[in-house]
Order: sequence, then C-alpha cells, then structure tokens
Amino acid sequence: MKDKVGAVLVVGGGIAGIQASLDLANSGFRVYLLDESPSIGGTMTQLDKTFPTNDCAMCILAPKLVMAGRHPNIELIMGAEIKSVEGEEGHFQVALVRKPRYIDEEKCTGCGVCARKCPIEGIDEFNEGLGERTAIYVKYPQAVPLVYAIDRDKCIGCGTCQEVCKAGAVKYDEKEKRIALHVGSIILSPGFEEFDPKLKGEYGYGRYSNVVSSIEFERILSASGPYGGIVLRPSDGKVPRKIAFIQCVGSRDAKIGNNYCSSACCMYAIKEAIIAKEHNPDLQCTIFFMDVRAYGKEFDAYYNRAEEEYGVKFVRSRVPQIGEVLESQNLLVKYVEDENPATEEFNLVVLSVGMRPPKHAEELAKTLDIKLNKYNFCSSETFSPLETSRPGIYVCGAFSSPKDIPESVAQASGAAAKAASSISSAREMLTTVKEYPPERDVSGEEPRIGVFVCHCGINIGGVVNVPEVVEYVKTLPNVAYAEHNLYTCSEDTQKRIHEIIKEHNLNRVVVASCTPRTHEPLFRETVREAGLNIYLFEMANIRDQCSWVHMHEHEEATEKAKDLVRSIVAKTRLLKPLKKPMIDVTPIGLVIGGGLSGMTAALELAKQDFEAHLVEKEKELGGHLRHIHYLLGSEDPQERLGSIIKEVTENEKIHVHLNSELSDVEGYVGNFKTTLNNDGEKKEIKHGVVIVATGAMEYNPNEYLYGVDERVVTQRELEERLTNGGFNAKTVVMIQCVGSRNGEHPYCSRICCSQAVKNALKIKELSPETDVYVLYKDMRTYGFLEDYYREAASKGVLFINYDDENRPRLVQENGKLKLTVWEPVIKTWTPIEPDLLALSVATLPNPDNEHIAKMLKVPLSKDKFFLEAHMKLRPVDFATEGIFLCGLAHWPKSIEESISQACAAAARAATILSKEALEVEGAIANVNEDFCSGCKICESVCAYNAIEMKEVDGKPRAHVLEALCKGCGVCGSSCPTGAISMLNFTDDQILAQVRAALKEETKYD
Amino acid sequence: MTKSEFEPKIVGFLCNWCSYAGADLAGVSRIQYPPTLRIVRVMCSGRVDPVFILEAFRSGADGVLVAGCHPGDCHYLSGNYKLQRRVSMLKKVLEQFGLEPERLRLEWVSASEGDRFATVIKDMTEKVKKLGPSPLNNGG
Amino acid sequence: MMFRPKIVGFLCNWSLPQEVNTTGTGIIQGYPKIRIVRVMCIGRIDPVIVLETFVKGADGVLVIGCHPPDCHYIEGNLQAERKIKMLKKLISRTGLEPERLRLDWAYASETELFATIIDDFRTQVAVLGPSPLAGKKPDENVLAGIMAAKAVTGDSRLRTLVGREKELIEEGNVYNEKVEQEEFDEVMNESIDEEYVRSRIRLLVKDRPMSVEGLARHLGLDPKKVLRHIVVLRHRGLVALDKIEREDPLYIALEVT
Repeated sequence: MKDKVGAVLVVGGGIAGIQASLDLANSGFRVYLLDESPSIGGTMTQLDKTFPTNDCAMCILAPKLVMAGRHPNIELIMGAEIKSVEGEEGHFQVALVRKPRYIDEEKCTGCGVCARKCPIEGIDEFNEGLGERTAIYVKYPQAVPLVYAIDRDKCIGCGTCQEVCKAGAVKYDEKEKRIALHVGSIILSPGFEEFDPKLKGEYGYGRYSNVVSSIEFERILSASGPYGGIVLRPSDGKVPRKIAFIQCVGSRDAKIGNNYCSSACCMYAIKEAIIAKEHNPDLQCTIFFMDVRAYGKEFDAYYNRAEEEYGVKFVRSRVPQIGEVLESQNLLVKYVEDENPATEEFNLVVLSVGMRPPKHAEELAKTLDIKLNKYNFCSSETFSPLETSRPGIYVCGAFSSPKDIPESVAQASGAAAKAASSISSAREMLTTVKEYPPERDVSGEEPRIGVFVCHCGINIGGVVNVPEVVEYVKTLPNVAYAEHNLYTCSEDTQKRIHEIIKEHNLNRVVVASCTPRTHEPLFRETVREAGLNIYLFEMANIRDQCSWVHMHEHEEATEKAKDLVRSIVAKTRLLKPLKKPMIDVTPIGLVIGGGLSGMTAALELAKQDFEAHLVEKEKELGGHLRHIHYLLGSEDPQERLGSIIKEVTENEKIHVHLNSELSDVEGYVGNFKTTLNNDGEKKEIKHGVVIVATGAMEYNPNEYLYGVDERVVTQRELEERLTNGGFNAKTVVMIQCVGSRNGEHPYCSRICCSQAVKNALKIKELSPETDVYVLYKDMRTYGFLEDYYREAASKGVLFINYDDENRPRLVQENGKLKLTVWEPVIKTWTPIEPDLLALSVATLPNPDNEHIAKMLKVPLSKDKFFLEAHMKLRPVDFATEGIFLCGLAHWPKSIEESISQACAAAARAATILSKEALEVEGAIANVNEDFCSGCKICESVCAYNAIEMKEVDGKPRAHVLEALCKGCGVCGSSCPTGAISMLNFTDDQILAQVRAALKEETKYD
Repeated sequence: MTKSEFEPKIVGFLCNWCSYAGADLAGVSRIQYPPTLRIVRVMCSGRVDPVFILEAFRSGADGVLVAGCHPGDCHYLSGNYKLQRRVSMLKKVLEQFGLEPERLRLEWVSASEGDRFATVIKDMTEKVKKLGPSPLNNGG
Repeated sequence: MMFRPKIVGFLCNWSLPQEVNTTGTGIIQGYPKIRIVRVMCIGRIDPVIVLETFVKGADGVLVIGCHPPDCHYIEGNLQAERKIKMLKKLISRTGLEPERLRLDWAYASETELFATIIDDFRTQVAVLGPSPLAGKKPDENVLAGIMAAKAVTGDSRLRTLVGREKELIEEGNVYNEKVEQEEFDEVMNESIDEEYVRSRIRLLVKDRPMSVEGLARHLGLDPKKVLRHIVVLRHRGLVALDKIEREDPLYIALEVT
C-alpha cells in the first residue's frame, strides 16, 4: 500500500478550522486551510464580546488568527471552493478552484490607500449592512491575511486602485485558478449560516428599521462597529431606552421546518443584554424566551447575574407578532403574560436568529460524498461525533450541529486528533521548520527601547488618553521610539513593529496593551523575527488592569497608564537576553480515569502511535457508561462500551492500571514521573503529558422522600427498571433540577433534561397508557435533542413548568405518594398521585478532584470542577503546560461531547508528544558562584529539587538544574547572600520597576 | 493635603498564575475599583523579597499588597507559605520604622476571583486612606 | 424694465469668434451683459470654478466649445460635456435651477450661431429670473447647497468617476468589458446623491454639533439615511461623536489636515 500523505485539508477558516489547523500544524502535519471568503476568522470576528467571561471576541481571537496566518506549516487558500475529492482515507486528491482576488497576496501590504480612493461603494456585509464599504476592501481591520480583495460584482473596473497602489499589487487579469492538493485527511468546518429573519414575516424584519438581527446587534455593540460602540437604533440614530430580545427566531419552529434548538442564542442574547446595559445603565432590556438554555459551564451563574445584577427582565412567552408605531418607529411586541395577551412598546427589537447549515451544504455533501441529516447539517453518530460518513473526512464546529465557541474549539481539536491518527505514519513528512534570523548581539549597546501603546479599539483609547501617554513615554530615558496603534496585536502592526525595530535600531521593545497572559507569545514572536531575543520584550497591562477597571476616571486612568508604562520601561532598560534550554520529551501519556473520556483519550493517543497509561481507581473500566442502557438515538451503549473496552485492553500501546490511584506526581511537561498506588503496591510511571478524565458523580438526593419511599427513584434507577423489567407504573412524575440550580449547586447539570425525555419516551414505548409528567424549570434539550422533546410531547408526555417559589410538594398519605404541583396555565395547585417519582439529580464534581488538582497544581472552578486555561478558546488545556482535561471532570456533558473533548485532549497532548524535545522557559534561577556561601538553604526551599550542591574548588556551591527549574524565584528571595538571581525577574529589574511605579526618576543607574 | 483628598498609591506584587489572572478577570468583568494600584508582576509570590517591599515604602508607597495563590493552590507548590512567614516578620520591621503594619497586606486571590480582587483593592484603599499618607512619602 | 441677467461665458480659445479675440476686453460687442472668460480648452473648466461663478452672483453660466469630434486638444470638449452633465445633476440638488448652466458647441467662424446661442440662453435665464444667489441677500439654503456641491466636486470620488466615464463606456474597463451608459449613470447618480448629502452634513456640523434627527430635519431627509451617511463620515474620519444629549448623539466635523 502507498505511503500516507502527511497533509490535511481544513475546509472553513472560522474558529474551529483555525484551531484544527493549529493543532495539526503543531504536531507535525502540513495544513491547507481553505475558506470561501477573502480572510479567515469566520463569524467570531463579527462578535463584540463572548459569554460567559465577556472577553472581547477580537482580543482573544486575534492571537490565533495571527498564529495561523504566520505558521510555517499552514497554507491559507482564500476565496476557494472544492470541486472534487477522489481517493480514500490517507490519500485524497482534491481539486479546488480559487476565485480571483485581483490582488497579489505577496505584494499587498494592506496599507488601504486603494480603498480610500475607490469611487464605488456598496453594502458592508461585515457590518451586516449597517455601513458601506468600497469595491476594493478587507473584510475587517485586523483581517488575516491582511490583503485587500476586489469585489468583482461591485467594481466597475475604473483602474484607480492600480494607479494608486505603490506596491503594484493589483492584477486585473488574474483568472480563476485550479489547484490540485494531495492530502491524507480532510476536516470540514464550514460553520453555519444565520437564519434569515425575513422568513418570519410577522416580526417585520426588513420592513421595520428598528428590528435588527442578533448579529447586527453584535456589530452595533462593537467598538469597531458602524456606530463606534454606542448602541443606536438604525431608524434615527437615537439611543434606545428599551430593547426587546426575541428568542428562537428560526429555531424550535416547526412552521419553518427548523425544529431544532440553535443552542447558543439564549446565552448570546443574555450577553448582548448585559453588554448593552454596560453601555447604558439606564437601558431596560427584556428577553422573551421559551426556555432559558443556560446549560454550559458557568452559564447559569451568568444568567443569574443578568437578572439580579443587571436587571435584565426575562419573560417566558413566544412572541407571535411585532408591530410598528408609525410616528416613532417604536415597536409593539405582542406576548402572553399570565395567560393574558399583552403588548409592550420598545425602541429596538433584537431577533435572536438561529443557526442554519452552511449555504452550500448540499453541494459540499455531494462533492465530498458525505451524508447530511434531515436539516442538512453534517450527519454523525453518538459514538463517532467527529466522523462523517466517508472515512478520512471529519467534521467539527457548527456544521455538525448548532453549537457555541468552546464546543466548536473542543471539536476542532478532536477532529485534528482523528485526522492525525489516520495519517500518523506520515507525521513530519511534509512539514518545514521555522527559520529565524540570527539573534542580534545587543550586549554593550545602550538600551534603545521602542514603546507601542495600543488603543485596543476603544477598549483602552476610550478611557486612557493614549496619544498623551505616547508623548509622555517619549520623554523617558532610553525610549528611542514610541507610537500608538489602533490594535497593536493586528497582523499589520506586527509588520510595523518589525520594521520599526530595524529602522530605529531598537534593542528592547515594550507593548502597552492588554495582558501578557494572552498576548506576550505573539509579541515575543514578532521581536524574535526582527532578530531580538524574546526576553528583550515586556508588556504593560493598561487595559485589564487600568482602562477596564477605571472606566469613569479618565484622567486618573491616564496617569496610572503612564505610571505603569514608566515602570515597565524602567524594568525593560535592564532586560538581558536569555537562552531557552531544550528538554527531552517522553512520548507517553498518562490518562487519569477509565471512563468513556479516559478510554477515548488513551485510544486516540495510541492511534497516533503514542503509548498511554490509563489509570482507573475502580476494578473495571467504563465509568458512568456502564449504567446507560439505551440512548435517544439508535445506538446500543452497552455494545459500544464493550467494544471500546475491548479495543483499549487489546491495544498494545495502552497500559491499563485498574484499582489504582495517583499517589504522587513530580516533574514537568515532557518529563513527568508519577507514582501509582495499586492496592498498596507502588508503581512508577514516566510520561510526557497528563490527561485528567476523572469524571463526576451523581447527587444522592435528600429531597422528595428519596431513600424513604422506594417509589422515589433517580433517573438512573428508573432506567435500570425500564431495562431489566420491574416497571409497571401507571403514573410517573419526573422532577427536574433536583440538586441543581439551587443554592447549594447553582449550576445546571446539562444532561438531565435529555435523560428525562429519553426515559419518558422509553416509558411511552413500553407502556403507552402510562401518564408521564415532567416538572421542569427550563427544558434544556439543546441542538437536535429538541426533536426528542417534541416527540415526547406529541406522545402525550406532559411538561409542566415550575419555579423556585412554586416547587412541587410531596407527602406520603395513606401509603400513597401525593404530589401537589402548581399548574401555571390554570393557576392552581393540582394534586397528582404518582406510583413512581423519578428525580433528575445533579451531576456533582468528583470529590477526588481536590487532591488531584493539588497534586497536579491545577485549579478548580467555584463549583469544584476542573478549571481550564480559558473557557472560550482553551477548553481542554490547563494553564500549566502538558496537562489537559476532558469529559465530566470539566463539566457535565453528553456522550458525544465527552468523546469530542477526549479526542481534543489527545490532539492537544500530541502537540507535545510529537516533539523530540521541547524548548523550556529561559527565565529561571541563576547562581553567582562567587557569592554563594554553600549554605544549602536554597536546596531546602526548592519544591522541585531543581537545586543541587556541586563542588567548586573544593567548596559546595548551589547549582540549578535548568529543566526542573520553574522560575518561581523562591530560592532567590531566600538566599542570604544574594547569590541567586531570577533571570528576567532580577532584583535590579523588580526594584527599578517598583521605584519607577511610584515616582518619576530623571536619572537611572 | 487633607486626608479626604488624599489618593494613596499602592504597589501590588502579584503572582503570575493566580492573582495577576484574578486582576485580569476583574478587568474582563469590568469590575470597577479605585485607580490606586500599581502592579508589579512576579512569577510567584514567594519571589517577593522583603527588600522589594521595603524599597516600595522607601520610594513613597502608601501601601504594599502582596497577592498570591490560595495556600495549597500555589503553582510553585509552597512558595506562598514561605511568603506568609516573611510578611508577618516584615510587619514588625515596619513598626520599627514608624509605619503602621496595616500598610502591608498579604492576600490570596485566585484566577477566578476577579470580584474579590476588586474588593481587596477597594478595602485596602479605604484603609490606607484613613491612615493618611505614608510618613515616608514626601510627595514623590 | 426687463430683467437683464448677468451671464458668464467660458469659451474655448479655438472656438472663440475673431471679433472677440480682437477686442480683448472679454466683452462681445452687442452683448455687454455677457462676460467672457477665455480658456484654452473647455475641458479645462473645473466644476469648482463654475460653482464659484454662481456663488459670486452669476445668473447663468454658458460654456461653449468646438463641435465634437473636433477639438484642438483631441477631446477636451467631450470631457467638458461629462463634467457639465455631472454638474447639472449636482446643481439640481441644491435648489438652483440646472437650466442656469448650459453647454453648447460652435466654431470660431460661426458668429451667427454664437449670437443665437447667447440669445437663447439669455432668454432662458431671464425667464428664470435673478439667481437666488445674486444680490445682497443670497438664499442661504441654496448657498449652503452650492458650497456643499463645491466641496464634492473638489473630492476624488466624483472626479474619478467623471474622469473615467468616457474610457469605461467607449473603450472598456480594466477587465476589457464595456460599461453600459445606463449602468454608469446609475453609479454616478448614486455617488452624486451620497456625496452631496455627506458634504452638506459636514458643513452643517462644522461649527456646532448636531443630531441625526436635527440633520434630517434640516436636509428634509429620512433620518435612517442620514445615520448611514454619518457612519461613512465617521469611518472616513471626517465627523466625530461630540457628546450625547439625552437620547441623541451629537456629531461634529473634524478638521482634516
């Protein structure tokens, strides 16, 4: 058989496609990233903020865009589509057609002079038609690649752009280009299409100026949007006082054939309402909803904050119609309150539009020969959520089902794992290593510091007087150059920094913008490309720790920004170049937890040719899945579990350790050493990464007579009865949110709604005459699960809403269970006598999490689930390198989601395991042997055993083991003779920073 | 300068992994607090040498905050425990210099506690305001 | 007494009758109310100059060049034709009657034709009466319109379109396709509309900030459209948000350097 091809084609350059590309490119594969638009970034580039952290979407996305744009093993193919795919897994021949862009990508500098001179205007799609753009354009200011394109439909061909282009980049004679690619795997991440709200004529979209779609509203909120970040209404540019959000526009709607739930709209509407309120605290926001589906990690807390802190009003009602008041162009929203029709007037209405499959889904499916589901989303199975119907072609993101960003990102990494495992024999066959220019020797040079101060749109510039800061910075000693940028992180600014370093012969660089925690790597890369050592770079955080927290004190914030920049400049003056040591990587993974997630992660590592140790504290593998007997879909979970366990135990690369727990973990990324305790017997394992898949546990209820009356069971116990016989109830009541969404566990357990629907359907299947009631707070059957909810309702399952004030009451009376339920429609307390009461109990974090987290030095969330590095864009990473998480250890989730995350964790792990050696931190401890007295205090305080004593000229002297040192600096601050300095955080540097933070110094020495 | 007009300057040594992230989270959540803090990032709060704290006071800081991970959460295992001992020692030293020990504060702030971070700064600003300018602060 | 309009005539050097050339006074004998400005080619006539002539109080502006296809400068006359066409469209938006501007053709030898053209035009203008911009109290609205139009004709967008019109329609564009006159006119009319309104907005908010509603009232336009223009003007860095009063953001023009 032919050798496999070590390249992957990723179709669709949104956040999912970008993540998949980065993971693959970082683990030894060549990537072609294709998008039909002229730039990557997808829908996320249009968003203002993201829930639940309210991070600015562009801020967190920009570094990834730039990384993808400059990765030596990712080739961007913009404006292209697939014409045919021949061959099979491992060897696909793909024919592409690239539309002419009419601009030479190599030559265009993105300067934008052409757009300023172009006489033709048209609708700006990026701003959802709320503004205009020229016929020659870039999609958005930070676009990657930052290369203009000509919109041939609008261009009249006047030739002006060519005349004004100094770079000579315009080429009108460019023709459609055919491209043939040879790849081993294909990942589909074409995203979604917004639902066209014109199809819901009753809402007046397109007729009423002040009815906008949610994505338009994102642009209205955005600082870089058409209204410059002030919320205005389109009809007259006035600031609205009352905004209504209408949920489920184009979702959960049988009339238009979109029965499914679009999964993300509840949360984005809440976010939009919160952000709008932040813009204008007097604003009244009302969200009209059917169920608030805040099922994700920390979503309910966000929902509660919206209601309690921000005063967002929530009204449970489907809105049948919207009318317009002629004179004011205000809108009359009709709804139902307490079963009575009501009408309320609003200044602006936002339609929370759902997600549709991508426009060309059918064509794409035909070209690729893959199956779609009945809604034209990509079809996949419960146990293979990342696989399409054609082997070697994988799917991730909203194309397989509507989903939010973190789930798209997790799926993207997961799809990368799948794509990599089918071609792992071809790893590194087609990749190139990034070449950097030699580092310039700056020793002996006077410091020449360049300072770049970022406006961050209006995030900083709207509060801090940025030009004033720049002028001030120019007066500081050793500052050879200073300027301000709209976005210092954008691709064009990177080029600019590079040029300015050369032009002004800078030997140190400071960026004053956001947090080094997200942006330092990007800027370090930029200075390195310009020939400077990365440790000659520093950042001042004037956004997160200044403009954002002093929004109303412009002068004080400006002064503080000056102080912060001045103090960082003082430190920068003393920076020294450092070397990064290389450390070997043990290409073995350790997976903690032998449930579905852990087994999947281990298998995915093994399929990529890495050994894996799978540690399970129980006596058998399988975890929770052992208790699941049927699913909403047709797959048999026990059969699947059996085959997965078989696959795991038969795989030579997987070492299963049952009845085992971790007793000690030492080491660091690439070189961990873990001691396992197997019934008192200790075993030591060496490995390069850790994947945490410790699962979760079920809440043991003390509500509703559970444990007192045997007719009260949990859903899992009900499932056992429905599977193994012994079910004969005539009236079954299910109560949702038992132990969830309450004071003790404020979060949503996510899976219980669909579990209840699943069991209700099973009851109706086995015993159609049994009455089934489901008492719920919000039915959170998101995505395609909605179909089953609808099916259950159509089969006569009665769903009754309750809230915290009107919880169901249960008593035992004459040997019977008597449940009293508040019936909101008829507004009375209604008695029901169930013969079986099933409690949908909460999913609780595994109690082992606490000590495992301590052992691994990773954090837990408030709710004691593991806390990932970033909720939006790093869903399976910990901040600590080399440690990853997946499955229920992260948050309650479904089988598909657990599998996707487990694959994702494996993909992320592979970015480390695939390397022979890793570069480690250069900012570590350093001993000046002349000052060392050999007292050994440092050796005793170092928690990593990174210091050993060596004989130098017959005397003991401290010696730092570079690979072990984490750079914490505890040794340095304990050393009695000052012999230990912390590179990049030396005493001199910190003291200079402290002094300069407090006062201006005219002389530095 | 009357005490009511006095805006103290506080130097905060924040560990990179927890407290600095907590301060970022306060920013991301737009939780407002007084603009009195000047942050110095260190990798671990255990890195904070008594010399740094003394130098901050000598340079005119009205207060010094050292913030690290909660005990047990330390990214560097136990750096924060060592710090705790050091800070209580330092407070005694400060008293000898005529500085109120309340001007030095040690706090544990995790990456998920943006709210708490802001509360700490608000509270510390209030307290230092009441103490008035540091006797070592000769106006910068 | 019958109204005697003040008319300024821009005549090309090569189509100017001999007797005019010889007097050198700029006044054609027998037509003392027509002031002649001699230009080497009427293609040279910048729309800004024509508008300025109206600002100065001319009741009519007459442009005469050689009959096409003759032109001493190959096709300066045709260039002028396109400029005048655009100018008439632009003027019509200001409230000034576009009939006060006329382009005609005559050879230097056609003295009689000259007389007829001038007569005709004088009559036409006389019927219209004095220009709203003539006299001591010019109509402020029309004046504002003409000032805005002046700014527009000085800007690159319309100049580019006018400059390219002939080439695009007759020879084809950069993609070797000929642009239909109709299609071009549509683009042109839209551009004139947009740029004229934007120019008016800029002038209106030059000294005092105004709201979208205020601007819309002043211009007699749909506020929705005004807002779209504000978006463009902000994007171009020509207008900025000044402050928000109650529910109305007020915008102010930015000095452009």
